[in-house]
Amino acid sequence: MKKVVIADDSIAVARQLEKILVGSGEFEVVAQARNGLEAIKLYQQHHPDLVCMDMNMPGMDGITALRSLVALDKNAKVVMVTSLGGVGDKFTEALRLGAKGVISKPFEAEELLQLLRSV
Amino acid sequence: MAVKFFGQFLLEKGVVSREAIIKAVELQESVNLKFGETALELKLLTEKDIKKIHDAQRSEDLMLGDMAVKLGILTKDQISQILEHQQKSHLRIGEALVRVGALTAEELPGYLKEFSADQAKYATSRIVIPAEVPNAAVWEICADLTAKMFIRVVGVQCRLGDCMLVDKIPGNALIAGIDLAGGVSARYHLAVSDSLREKIAKGVLMEEDVAGESEAVLDDTVLEFVNIVCGNVAAKAAQQGQDVEILPPLSQRPGPEGLPVPSGSVAVFFPLHLPDSERAELTLVVRR
Repeated sequence: MKKVVIADDSIAVARQLEKILVGSGEFEVVAQARNGLEAIKLYQQHHPDLVCMDMNMPGMDGITALRSLVALDKNAKVVMVTSLGGVGDKFTEALRLGAKGVISKPFEAEELLQLLRSV
Repeated sequence: MAVKFFGQFLLEKGVVSREAIIKAVELQESVNLKFGETALELKLLTEKDIKKIHDAQRSEDLMLGDMAVKLGILTKDQISQILEHQQKSHLRIGEALVRVGALTAEELPGYLKEFSADQAKYATSRIVIPAEVPNAAVWEICADLTAKMFIRVVGVQCRLGDCMLVDKIPGNALIAGIDLAGGVSARYHLAVSDSLREKIAKGVLMEEDVAGESEAVLDDTVLEFVNIVCGNVAAKAAQQGQDVEILPPLSQRPGPEGLPVPSGSVAVFFPLHLPDSERAELTLVVRR
């Protein structure tokens, strides 16, 4: 089972993501971060297979955290889960910084699972 | 399914790779000239003019073109000429993907057609915004996508009432707000009743029953709903060449007196009609 860290300032989104991931039986959520800085700390602590990261978070945002995570571990698998995925500049910036995928909200559970399986 | 950009659509369909998109964007960046570069190419500005404009921009927050007009270096007609040239010579992502060999020129029209069909559900309906409100096209997208996301995320039909200007933001409800920045300056406010908040929570959490949820979680689902709406507004605005940045959402519960409209701003109000006599209210406070 793949270990996942969720980074999202919204409790509701973290709950929704956890339900989808755990419900699939393929992923285990090992920790949840509320901003980018917490995500980096939890990544170093848990060494997850995947990180599901929001872009728009107070404090350190998801793009800054993505840049730091990839600098720490060039093999880090980060998927951006964001309402801003449809903004071309944000989408391509995330890919260029090393995100393995970007999914736009709202999404269907199966769309997210397919993306996570593919990275 | 959300508002997407063409490269994302092709990547999700497996037509192009992540690497091809990065290569195409790098090509766009090397080919597409910025406003100042275009003006230099058209010989409407000199390097000396640009330096003078940049110096003036240090003391006043104006775009390069606006500052050039203010300083009397360019006329409004010349600005239009530069923008038109920029638009005509702009290399779009689809053409860039053809140039880097990720698509053939023959395949491109077919995929563009599929993309338009895929995004048709987010085509903006015609909404009339009073002429005195700046950036009306962005507020049309805001109102339209708020109604469409009630259908998509919450699963309830939503009809927009007529737009009007108001002198305060109605209270007595949970208000979720998001600041919109970049090329616009405004705050999006969505006011919802507690019964509508429950419906939003069911949609966002994908749960049949939310009776046991805490106030914090229920409020948070409304914040997430406005985050989804405004993120998709930014995506739709970007398709139309308008830069809209969004900040993290905030909630408040004003009393019956509502919230004041700051001076120098105009408040654009839309009633939202939902089933079971539910009603939500959208107010966009736009800086003039």
